[in-house]
Amino acid sequence: MTSTSDTATPRSRKGVDGWRWTGRIFLTIMILYTALPMVWMLLTSIKSGFAAMQFPPQWWPTEPTLASYRKLLDPQNSVGQDFLRFFWNSLFVSFVTTVLAVVVAVPAAYAFSRFRFPGRKFLFFAVLLRNMFPAVIFLVPLFILMRVLGLVNTHGSLILTYLTFGLPLAIWLLKGFYDNIPIQLEQAARIDGATRFQAFLLIVTPLSVPGIIATAIYSFIGAWNEYIYAATFLTKNEQLTLPVGIQRFFSENTTDFPGLMAASFIMSVPVVVLFLVLQKYFVRALTEGAVKH
Amino acid sequence: MTTLAGHANAPRGSIPARPSILQQMWTSRADYLYVLPAIVVMLIVIAYPIYYTIELSFFKTPPGLQLRDKIFVGADNYTAILSSEVFWRVTINTVIWTLASTLIAFVLGYGAALALHRDFAGRAVLRAILIIPWVISAVAASYIWKWMYHSDFGIIGQVLVQFGFTDRQPNFIDNVHTVLPSLIVVNIWREFPFAMIMIMAGLQTVPEQLLRAARVDGASTWQRFWHVTFPHLRGVSTVTILLLAVANFNSFIIPWIMTGGGPSNASHIWITHIYELAFGRQRWGVAAAYSVLLFVILMALGYFYVRALSGNEKEQGA
Repeated sequence: MTSTSDTATPRSRKGVDGWRWTGRIFLTIMILYTALPMVWMLLTSIKSGFAAMQFPPQWWPTEPTLASYRKLLDPQNSVGQDFLRFFWNSLFVSFVTTVLAVVVAVPAAYAFSRFRFPGRKFLFFAVLLRNMFPAVIFLVPLFILMRVLGLVNTHGSLILTYLTFGLPLAIWLLKGFYDNIPIQLEQAARIDGATRFQAFLLIVTPLSVPGIIATAIYSFIGAWNEYIYAATFLTKNEQLTLPVGIQRFFSENTTDFPGLMAASFIMSVPVVVLFLVLQKYFVRALTEGAVKH
Repeated sequence: MTTLAGHANAPRGSIPARPSILQQMWTSRADYLYVLPAIVVMLIVIAYPIYYTIELSFFKTPPGLQLRDKIFVGADNYTAILSSEVFWRVTINTVIWTLASTLIAFVLGYGAALALHRDFAGRAVLRAILIIPWVISAVAASYIWKWMYHSDFGIIGQVLVQFGFTDRQPNFIDNVHTVLPSLIVVNIWREFPFAMIMIMAGLQTVPEQLLRAARVDGASTWQRFWHVTFPHLRGVSTVTILLLAVANFNSFIIPWIMTGGGPSNASHIWITHIYELAFGRQRWGVAAAYSVLLFVILMALGYFYVRALSGNEKEQGA
């Protein structure tokens, strides 16, 4: 942007550099906004309770300690026992939800993409509309429903509920994916003697694996992070999932900020790792499914 | 059912009648099997709750009594809501919360996607870092920020004091004037990555040739964005804004964990207020009436939502 470059380079070049710098500065600010809270979480989690509450603050812990992590992950003491159980409960509920979501969403999305049955449009939008209604509306009636089904205080109540809020976007994503798989592939298989179901299972499904992975990530993260249903449907301490368990625990120990930050960190690790490893499928599914037309 | 429809069509004789809806349904009966699991789950978990909520909204549920001992009160719950001061306070909060969160998250996400579109060293790392807040649990996010806003030891306040911006540690979330903006900052922190992912995906569909042609014709960076990229992203942008708006309208965890709606309702939005009415004060009837009002608003939003989403579908068919 200096006057010397003005004569040397064409005018458009100057504009490009200006925008590029704007982009860099903007990105730097966004990275700080995004990362600083997470850095502070980590720094706090390796402080002692005393070191966390000082003025002026210890920017860098003078005596870093893993005491909070040791306490949370030690099966010998009661805090660790509870925490590990919450962790296991979350893992179980999220995993079962994910498997079921894929099993239900795949045929539904395929049907919405391929078949032309009456009510198809209506059904599709009914599925999409589910996304619009907040959990609170469904809490009381679902609680009563779960009592009728005998699922109160079981993980089954959560799994059934999580399925329904994961399904709409899952079906939508997968449908877009199927739309892009040429129908000629199936027609060829049909000519070779495959039934429609075989064509679906053996030809189309393997091609839609990236979409299925994206659906699975989405369901898993949704179930892992869900709070409001878990807080309402489960009352027994040994059944709680992580978000509710942590909230209950730290509403009793309000000043243990290193412990709270350590717990938040451990709770974030599985989903962040899962997402980072599989993110290319997710972005690709969005590109091929939801966005391209 | 099908035989009936068959008979009705039979006397028409040679005129090739359009098959009736029931016939169509019968001939494609196998297709329904594919959607059946999804539909059954949806019916159980959507249709029944909606029916139940509408019914409950016309009843009074005295605290201390069982839920089944409800008393019919007609539209009293609705008039009580619309004439209460808290309702308007909460509604204004909800509008501010939804609009500010949606627009700022969208603009930041859009900007980040554009800035990340050019290939440079470390791009994948930056993208991954920017997405993380969206992936972690809202409960964890609430605690992280609650700790940073802490009235005695919060890092944000301490930085402000250290650098001499204020004399005393500011009290972000216990102050009626600052609580809502403070929570919106947290919400945007969690949500802008979603807008970023959607726009990034959209950017990949912008045809390279058009951009190159525009460059050859001497279009500046801004002109190329405004005349090529921006119009191409209009569909994705609409869908993203709607999804964000719906999600924000329905948010619960961040205000609930961080402030519980306080101080003096300054951070209550519709959903937290309904939750408190139902589960905090056991006023199920009023909470149900609130929910029905919410339905009506959401259906209006839903009209645009469906139109935006089906817009994609139509273009696919063409």
